[in-house]
Amino acid sequence: MLEIKNLHVSIEEDGTEILKGLNLKVGSGEVHAIMGPNGSGKSTLASVLAGKDGYEVTNGTVAFCGDDLLELAADERAREGLFLAFQYPIELPGVSMSNFLKQAVQSVREHQGKEALTSGALLQMMKEKAALVHLDPALKSRSVNEGFSGGEKKRNEIFQLAMLEPKFAILDETDSGLDIDALRIVADGVNHLRSPERSFLLITHYQRLLDYIVPDFVHVLMNGRIVMTGGKELALELEEKGYDWIKDETTQLA
Amino acid sequence: MPSGVEMSMELKEQSRSGEDVFIERFEDLIGPNTNGSESEWTLNRRNAIQVFAQNGFPNKKSESYKYTPVTKWLQSQLKNGMHTAAGSSVQSGNLKNEALPTPLLDESEVRGEPSSLENMKGLHVHATNGLIRGSLSEALPTGLIICSFKQALVDHPKLLSEYLTKAVVLERDPFAALASAFAEDGILIFVPAGLEVEKAIVIHHDALFSNSLIQARLLVVAEEGTKVNVIEHFPFLDAGSSFENRVAEVFAGKGARVDHVLVMERNDQTLFVNSLFVHQDANSFFRTNTVTLGGGLVRHNLNFLPDAEECETHLHGLYVAKGTAHVDNHTLVDHAKPNCFSNEIFKGIVTNQAVGVFNGKVLVRQDAQKTNAYQSSKCIVLDRGARTYAKPELEIYADDVKCSHGATTGELDEDALFYLRARGIHPDAAKLMLLEAFAKDIIGLIDFDEVRNYLYQRLHGLLTVTK
Repeated sequence: MLEIKNLHVSIEEDGTEILKGLNLKVGSGEVHAIMGPNGSGKSTLASVLAGKDGYEVTNGTVAFCGDDLLELAADERAREGLFLAFQYPIELPGVSMSNFLKQAVQSVREHQGKEALTSGALLQMMKEKAALVHLDPALKSRSVNEGFSGGEKKRNEIFQLAMLEPKFAILDETDSGLDIDALRIVADGVNHLRSPERSFLLITHYQRLLDYIVPDFVHVLMNGRIVMTGGKELALELEEKGYDWIKDETTQLA
Repeated sequence: MPSGVEMSMELKEQSRSGEDVFIERFEDLIGPNTNGSESEWTLNRRNAIQVFAQNGFPNKKSESYKYTPVTKWLQSQLKNGMHTAAGSSVQSGNLKNEALPTPLLDESEVRGEPSSLENMKGLHVHATNGLIRGSLSEALPTGLIICSFKQALVDHPKLLSEYLTKAVVLERDPFAALASAFAEDGILIFVPAGLEVEKAIVIHHDALFSNSLIQARLLVVAEEGTKVNVIEHFPFLDAGSSFENRVAEVFAGKGARVDHVLVMERNDQTLFVNSLFVHQDANSFFRTNTVTLGGGLVRHNLNFLPDAEECETHLHGLYVAKGTAHVDNHTLVDHAKPNCFSNEIFKGIVTNQAVGVFNGKVLVRQDAQKTNAYQSSKCIVLDRGARTYAKPELEIYADDVKCSHGATTGELDEDALFYLRARGIHPDAAKLMLLEAFAKDIIGLIDFDEVRNYLYQRLHGLLTVTK
């Protein structure tokens, strides 16, 4: 589904290289977790995949369902079925949730050759999907993320994920700032959305999320590269030992 | 008198200033004061032209017109043969041997699309060149007066002498003085004490001549304990390069609540100067929402004098300037008495080569203790060719006041745009959503559904083609 080869990314403004030859392959229906210390490039990876401005890809390729992802604009990527759950969801005062979701869902559906939903069907869908992450259906008349609590914002991201039904979803530290109950709600929502046609990339600092969303693979990202890959046990090992032992191991290898 | 052609030649030669043209024209219009028994109103007009003659048009040194070259526009319109004699009255058009202004072929042609504001619930007044045309749409509530000044001179002479020219400060703005001198008639709205006018008074302003000069007046008197809503619409007109100069005076009596909305949508060759002077008595509430969606050069002079305690004054404004439009909101809140509140919120969207100007002065005089005065101006610039100027001025002489101001200018928020695009929304649609959300803050403050919906529609149309 997604194949990243030798990806090098710099910050456009000052040329600082963040990703230094990253390789990653995610198959259909798989859940991959990326862990790594602060500043290792996790969020940069999420941003670059989603098409945020401000980054320069200096080398490497990203194939998404066989297409060159990097050739596509951010909105085209989303319409092709790529979704980013933001680490810091943006507040949009004056943009109502219902209008926002309508525009998003219809744009994506139109591109994918699906029929436009009637207002009634859209409302029904919103109601069902909001229930999935225990969001108050009354939020549809509120402005996007405005006045939402931290937990509501994160649940709202998963709600949007559910509405847009992407092929590939990146969750950028969706667990950060969540209490244990909210974490469980978010995880339940994600687990409910897992399917053989949908892949996930979970970016996280903590193993805790992976207790609830059990990944097929765990990767360790350090200094712009994936330095270790394992199964879900790797996350537990990281939790126990931290990252230093990997640093030692990889320097020895080098 | 020179003919129109001679007049423009003289202007080119600069043998006479633009002021002289108007001063002479005024003398032609009114004639000498021979018998000394002129009405107070006529004497007021003579005084106004004198004040104008003393101050002249703003020039390069005029601080308050620094960013807005009204005089230059006006002179070029005069050179191109604008009809100064069209005045506010059709009859005065055939003065001497000056060419008559070109009548627009018929009324339906001059008006743009009939606006849905025509259909809103309200007391509708149609005005041509600032004069009431035809009869009012329906019977008025008892005591409410809506009539021409000329009619008022016959039926309610005391009203005119009590209020007319009492709010306008002629020295403050030459255009206000000019309109006060030239307007041969005007619209009077009088709300007698205690009357709450349920329906909005909706004034539809149109013009019947192209390339003409219109000088118009409006006087609104809301006595003690009244409530009134006045909505003014200046719709799009295919009327060439006209100059509309109008002065409006509003008196809000004790405990009165006056709500005003002005929607400006003229064509991109129109020079429009709107001078509003509001006088507020104790415990009164006044609110204006000035929405500018059209016009070539638009200058709003909004002046407020809360002249007693416990007044509440709200100034809201929104403008969208495209092409080479130039929109200037120039406000003055003159806090003269204690315990008053004023709040000013202006928002603008400028694109292409357009210019947006905001100048907000808040004056808190020594007596005006416990004044709360807030001001905010926000502008979104969509194009590198567009410019904005914002100048907040706080002048405070009292020591126990709360005043604040903030002015921001910037592009659309990149993070917000990215968030929308990351959900599959096309960039143009995403921009539109954000711009509409930005403008909604101001339009949402208008009480009438019909007006809000009309403005949302117009805005949607305007911003959809604004890339």
